[in-house]
Amino acid sequence: MRLLKSLALKELLVGMGLTGRYFFKRKFTVQYPEERAPISPRFRGLHAQRRYPNGEERCIACKLCEVVCPAMAITIESEQRADGSRRTTRYDIDLAKCIFCGFCEEACPVDAIVETRIYEYHAESRGELLMTKERLLAVGDKHEAQIAADREIEARYR
Amino acid sequence: MSLPVSGAESHLITAASCAEIDKWVAKYPPERKQSAVMAALRIVQEQNGGWLSDGLIAAVADYLGMPAVAVYEVATFYSMYQLEPVGRHKISVCTNISCLLRGSETVVAHLERRLGIKLGETTADGKITLKEVECLGACVNAPMLQVGKRYLEKLTPETLDALLDDLQGDQVNG
Amino acid sequence: MSNLINIEIDGITMAVVPGSRLIDVADEQGVTIPRFCYHSKLSLAASCRMCLVEIERAPKPMPACSTTVTEGMKVYTRSPKVIASQRSVMEFLLINHPLDCPVCDQGGECELQEIAVGYGRDGSAYGEVKRQVVNPDLGALIATDMNRCIHCTRCVRFGDEIAGMMELGAPGRGEHMHISTFIQGSVESELSGNVIDLCPVGALTSKPYRYRARPWELQSATTISLHDSLGTRIVVDSRRGEMMRVVATEMNDPESECWISDRDRFSSLALSSEDRLVQPMIKVDGQWQSVDWDRALTFAAEGLQKVINNYGSDALAALAGLTQVNEEYYLLQKLLRSLGSNNLDHRLYQVDCNDDATAPLYNGFGQSPRDLERSDLFLVIGADLRREIPLLAQRLRSAARHGATVMSLNCGGTPERRVTHPAAALEINLSPQALVDELLAIAAALHPSTTAKTLTKQLAAVTVNERQQQIATALKNANHATLLLGAGAQSHSQLSLIRQLCHVIAAATGAVVSFATIGGNAAGAALAGVLPHRKAGGERLERSGLDWQQMLAAPLKGVVLLGLEPELDSVDAASLMRLLKASEFNLLLTPFASPAMYDYGDVLLPIATWFESAGSTMNGYGEWHQISPALPLYGAARPAWKILRVLGNLLNLSGFSQMSIEDCRRELQAASAVTPAAVRSGCDGEMSAAYDAPSAVLPAAGELQRIAALPLYQSDMLVRRSAVLQQGAIAAEAQQVAIAPSDAEALNLVVGRAVELSQGSVTAQLPWQLSRNLAAGTIYLPTGVAALAQFDHGNIAVRGV
Repeated sequence: MRLLKSLALKELLVGMGLTGRYFFKRKFTVQYPEERAPISPRFRGLHAQRRYPNGEERCIACKLCEVVCPAMAITIESEQRADGSRRTTRYDIDLAKCIFCGFCEEACPVDAIVETRIYEYHAESRGELLMTKERLLAVGDKHEAQIAADREIEARYR
Repeated sequence: MSLPVSGAESHLITAASCAEIDKWVAKYPPERKQSAVMAALRIVQEQNGGWLSDGLIAAVADYLGMPAVAVYEVATFYSMYQLEPVGRHKISVCTNISCLLRGSETVVAHLERRLGIKLGETTADGKITLKEVECLGACVNAPMLQVGKRYLEKLTPETLDALLDDLQGDQVNG
Repeated sequence: MSNLINIEIDGITMAVVPGSRLIDVADEQGVTIPRFCYHSKLSLAASCRMCLVEIERAPKPMPACSTTVTEGMKVYTRSPKVIASQRSVMEFLLINHPLDCPVCDQGGECELQEIAVGYGRDGSAYGEVKRQVVNPDLGALIATDMNRCIHCTRCVRFGDEIAGMMELGAPGRGEHMHISTFIQGSVESELSGNVIDLCPVGALTSKPYRYRARPWELQSATTISLHDSLGTRIVVDSRRGEMMRVVATEMNDPESECWISDRDRFSSLALSSEDRLVQPMIKVDGQWQSVDWDRALTFAAEGLQKVINNYGSDALAALAGLTQVNEEYYLLQKLLRSLGSNNLDHRLYQVDCNDDATAPLYNGFGQSPRDLERSDLFLVIGADLRREIPLLAQRLRSAARHGATVMSLNCGGTPERRVTHPAAALEINLSPQALVDELLAIAAALHPSTTAKTLTKQLAAVTVNERQQQIATALKNANHATLLLGAGAQSHSQLSLIRQLCHVIAAATGAVVSFATIGGNAAGAALAGVLPHRKAGGERLERSGLDWQQMLAAPLKGVVLLGLEPELDSVDAASLMRLLKASEFNLLLTPFASPAMYDYGDVLLPIATWFESAGSTMNGYGEWHQISPALPLYGAARPAWKILRVLGNLLNLSGFSQMSIEDCRRELQAASAVTPAAVRSGCDGEMSAAYDAPSAVLPAAGELQRIAALPLYQSDMLVRRSAVLQQGAIAAEAQQVAIAPSDAEALNLVVGRAVELSQGSVTAQLPWQLSRNLAAGTIYLPTGVAALAQFDHGNIAVRGV
């Protein structure tokens, strides 16, 4: 009986049948990078620092993100700027440490540090994975429209 | 040679005022000299044409041996002490509840219109200062105002006009 | 214990002392009652209403701070009524308090924040616009954000009751009430920084610390402040090894009363000043080179060896500053004595060292500050306490508030000065000579029975006036009188006589002689043996070395300086500089390098300050304290004890094999012939031998006698370099001389113009001010200031410009 089954190649035919069924079904593989999967406004990708419409940086150096960060990826130094406001002189996020939990974003009282939809970035050395304040602000400046739109959608759940 | 040693502010108080302050000081035990602070401020305010300069506040502090800031606290607490120069006549309009119900708003509006100044301001000729005060205890005849040491009660536009005519003609001594 | 009464808090019965405040009782029993305006060291305001509790049979909730316990009282701190009141009070307090916690420096250590979370509601019925208040400028130390103020008035009460200067007030009323100064002016009290600790919200915060760190990032370490001999406990907060701020200890330390002076609080800002020495340096052929430790230490050892080889060990001397730890002093004297020299001293503010043979081991309080505060009579002798030991002045003020009498024999002081508040019962200004005469007369009035021969003769010649008789009688009648000597006595040219007279007076009246000495660890230096006539531990030497006054005249060829800036750290810096310039080899162990050091120094070795050191210190009443480093070592600096030990090894001396600072301490303790208790009582030891005092050189016509006071913010290397302390009125005192009104008139001096001072070939033009606290014939000329360092302690000719 076993012999008969193997001679008739039943298992092969069953397998081929499965393959055949899927061959004609609708395809769901995303053709990255030509195609992209939809992303939630809550997506936690690369970090950015935002500015107010008048160009002033939002961050007030309260250091809540630094203390809440479970991976201790954030380093902040602060001082009083000439105009008397509280500002950071250094704001570093080490992407090699970051676990993208989004706590920094949740802790921020002024929506300064955010995680964007950007997930495709690379670095060729470890140093490049250190996001400085300038780099974070540059990301924010470039994607402000998207960031603002995402916060707008999410506003009612917060 | 006058030497600016600290505490030399007392010279701003005239001899007459000093004598009057001393009368008040005498009413309290020697170690409670500062109890006379309110009287002293009133006396030097009168001496100075109705207002207290910073120098005078410091002078009273020095005279009574108190910290200057403590005298300043008293001077800012009571609305009867003026910390800015005032006109020769000070009209204090009560806007507290009884007077308000009896039309103090109209009184204020009338005075402001006639004098061309707002509450807390002094006329350009330096004659009249208009001031808003809390209850002066004459609710029975509201609305009322105080001018100098005189109370004017049951105010009407006519009595107000008569008062202002008097004051502007300097017929009344406050 | 039978006089306790029973009360009940939240159902727990407890026996308490009658008359105590309910809030204190609750604190002792561990029942938490929230509060803002209440502070155990200040008077009651009962204005914040946060401490409301329910008391049985009381119709309304009562404030626990102003309620006294009574027998059978039943208190509820968490009843529905109490919770409702707490929530309402909190809501009211937050009506005008801005929600700017993220930018507020108090955020994270804020009483309002904590109590709002613990006792408040999450919403408020008030949505109106918050009140705006103008921020007064209080100077370089205190930052103000008055929108945050909740009107607890702790700062106002502190100024009035503790600092003795009511500088802040609460003018206006109702919604217009705010905290500010009168007119405009910075806060000038030497204790002003305490309002930063006192403020329960972020209205008064530290200006130098502004926005630099958050409380949760800070690492705290407790250490002892070595700016004065009180040895106040301080907390040093650092972040990633960098000094952030200094605050007072939170515990209500009976010795420090939870206050610290501004000097203790802000001096540490100098730790990273530009002058900080970060690398060992040596001078080769007149050129300075930065070198590594091996090279520097070898160079130093060779230099010392050369001096000994060429001139003998008597040509070697060592001088020490007053802010090192005991172990370092111990090793310094061990090094010098092993090299065969007894030329050691640390008393650079003491001109008269003639009574070394009879004087106590060190100038100390002779009683603990707590006992001192319990005195009912103080005779202050030549002490400008506010400018010498601010917290000791506060103790006197506190004693005076509780009824003690203060009599002050001033011998030179800054213009604006009040030792006590309320003012001293008697305050007279005396010239140095008059001070001695006054003490002689007071002593004579007491008819002392046993005294030395020469003194007996002097006492017999004195006529006693009524005032002196009064002082003498008051001293005799007091239960616990204290003779408090200050810097004016310490730097007096007849200190020996003054000391002797004080002990005569003390013996006749039972008073305690308390010496408020200059310097934080002068007592430690004396105990460790940095003295020409005593070994480590205080044992006398048969053959003493040169004291620092004798050194000035001796042909010294090699000098070791430990933690000392000799061009400023002495009452006679001018002579000291001549000595150093004549010397061939000067080895400096110093945390800072001043420009002058590069001139006279040959080796500069960077050492740790006491913020970065381990070790032990001894305060003015003979108590040892061990400190551990509050901060990491700065640059290549090393603890001085390690440097001295290596030098000992390089010079092939035995006994320099200590492995740790504890080894050094054990050695010192073993060497101490006297027990700590004996050390304490040694401060007012026997003064049997007669001492023939030199009479002072009286000023000629046109001359004034110098009062060489040490300004508060010039007292040591660290304070001098603290930029924020160098702003403001107290620092400005150091930049001018002061003259009594009568002298100013006699010399035709014009206010606002400079005066010309001359002494021998030295002249200088300086601004001057009038001082009512100076005796006629004297001039207040600060030490510790570069512009004045070329004058010695002699008389000075003064002329208007």
